[in-house]
Amino acid sequence: MIRVVSASHYLQPLHDEEPLPKLDDALRELCREDFRRTDRFIQLALLGSARCATGYGLQATCGVYLGSGLGPIGNNIVTQQQLIRDREIPKPFNFINTLGTSAGFYIARNLGLRGQNIFISRRSASLEAVLSIAIADLMLGAVGQALVGVVEEATLPLAAHRQRQGLVEALPLSEGSHWLLLEAGDTGGRQIQLMRFADYAALEGFLKPLRGSGARLYCTRGMETRFAENLRQMFPDNARQNPTVAFHDSLEAAWLTQFLTAGGLDKLFMVSGDNVRGWTLFQFSA
Amino acid sequence: MTGAYIRGMGLSCALGEDPEKCVSAMQRLQVRPSKVQLDELTEPLRMPYYRIPDPRDLFDSARFECLMQPVVHMAVEQAGLTAAEIRQLPLFIGSSCFSIGLSEIRYAAALVHRPETALPMPVCGYQDIAAIVQQTLGCAGDTYTYNTACTSSANAVLGALRMIELGWYPHVLVIGVELANRTTLAGFSGLQLVAESVQPFDLARGGIVLGEGIGAVLVSAVKDDANVLRILGGASNCDTSSVTTANADGNSVAAVLRQTLSNTRLQPQQICGIKAHGTATSTGDTAEAVGMRRVFADLPPVCVLKPYVGHTLGACCVTELVLFASALENGFLPATPGFKTPDPELDIHPLKASSSAPDGHYLLNHFGFGGNNTVLALEKTTS
Repeated sequence: MIRVVSASHYLQPLHDEEPLPKLDDALRELCREDFRRTDRFIQLALLGSARCATGYGLQATCGVYLGSGLGPIGNNIVTQQQLIRDREIPKPFNFINTLGTSAGFYIARNLGLRGQNIFISRRSASLEAVLSIAIADLMLGAVGQALVGVVEEATLPLAAHRQRQGLVEALPLSEGSHWLLLEAGDTGGRQIQLMRFADYAALEGFLKPLRGSGARLYCTRGMETRFAENLRQMFPDNARQNPTVAFHDSLEAAWLTQFLTAGGLDKLFMVSGDNVRGWTLFQFSA
Repeated sequence: MTGAYIRGMGLSCALGEDPEKCVSAMQRLQVRPSKVQLDELTEPLRMPYYRIPDPRDLFDSARFECLMQPVVHMAVEQAGLTAAEIRQLPLFIGSSCFSIGLSEIRYAAALVHRPETALPMPVCGYQDIAAIVQQTLGCAGDTYTYNTACTSSANAVLGALRMIELGWYPHVLVIGVELANRTTLAGFSGLQLVAESVQPFDLARGGIVLGEGIGAVLVSAVKDDANVLRILGGASNCDTSSVTTANADGNSVAAVLRQTLSNTRLQPQQICGIKAHGTATSTGDTAEAVGMRRVFADLPPVCVLKPYVGHTLGACCVTELVLFASALENGFLPATPGFKTPDPELDIHPLKASSSAPDGHYLLNHFGFGGNNTVLALEKTTS
């Protein structure tokens, strides 16, 4: 049995022509060191992970599983400008922080962890990827606890940030840091299960008896319309209850941690897949 | 863990374009680094570099796709999967460069032709390798792209094994990619970690020499008649003493080696050989040497493959796994060409000449920036 013993949700809507909100004050309260050679991506990762871990006894072997669609894009931009536009060798900490895994290092250092530390990306579905890996490790006993999160950083100007991602002009944007602390065993908190189905018929067969149970079902982006519509018809409250949030590449994580931190919901499903790669269902139950 | 069988392998590196050629080159002790220059910088850079033999310019954007395609085809064809199995094939990718080289090329061109609107990082995200491989093979399974510096593809292997263990996937294609890009070359130069030659565990070691590598390994829960190699499992941990290297006290290295042995139910005396990470940096080799000495009272034979192919960073696990596994299949543990004079403080003596590789168990070490340490265990069974 795997349980969600804590969750944290940081989602900051952004506005054109305004600076990105400073994170320094919040980090001073949450970090046990003044990490000087960090960038915004690392700061967002520190913020969300520390909020999620606060008040819980982390094992030193707790794994860190960080996902992101774009990774440390702001630092990569600075490094590329130094190298290509200014024709200079990148500054060492800029270069090192181009790696997604640098953020995991600072999280581990801040929380006193020495377990497995992983950075994984799947564009538009990094939460699903990183959550699957973490749950597999918990199921096999490779780790006893897993701090699982996704971080999406925004860069200014927002018009350029949209252009890089091929987004329409004026789409409302956000940045976020969304985290779950998972633990193997019956330790309290919501239960999380990952179920895999070879085809849609099998998925539907599992879900049909749960119609009318008050469960919320959530279809991830990119799902073929006919399947998404069918699933939404099975759980008609879904559309009304889905919050509208400004865009970042890991929007599913924003929805999920918003629900989990708000509480009051008995059962939540998050579904993704197709009939080629199969279907993945994450079930969160009280 | 029950592990997974290696059913297919593909490789392109400085030694050649397929595993057989590479094994033959290792047997000849072929070491052929070329030179790379970044003359456009305010302070131009020149350094040795192990490039994949290819007639195109090193920074030609076409290389990204063209060099990857034959490698993944090779691995999948060797495995003999059905069309349906290929269609569902999940990809586990480890890289530290991704498409940064393409992004550099496009940004540089934009600065020349339309500087007022030039966008740095015009290609962003980590998805390009997966997209190219899916298009190449016609597969549409799940993708997991790892970026944990030099352990990227090692962690990808470990993730794939665990998914196979749970029965979530019957087969997985694990890919490691490192191709030439200016960010990596200039970045490592700025860290003052680059040497003129690779001399792992040697008294005169001075640092790394970078290289290109694309490796692919098709791992499967199912054994076929030809299989002699199984990846049993491994372990990974994080050393937070420094963002650039494991602590020289060897504690985290010893811990990940012990965890690997525990996870795979092996005893130190059962290990027939170790493919060391052997970056040839002062601290990196010290941490690895001290860690290995702590775990092994009698150290088994050690070899390092970076003198043949350079440090292929995020691709180094899969690149070196294919080289090492191919050598084992051919019955030998490779020599370590750059090693001449032992460092008495390390007391590690990599093989100066190749030796026989019996059936048994082998370890493969990988360490990276971000404090990431990952070790895999491999089993060879011919009888």
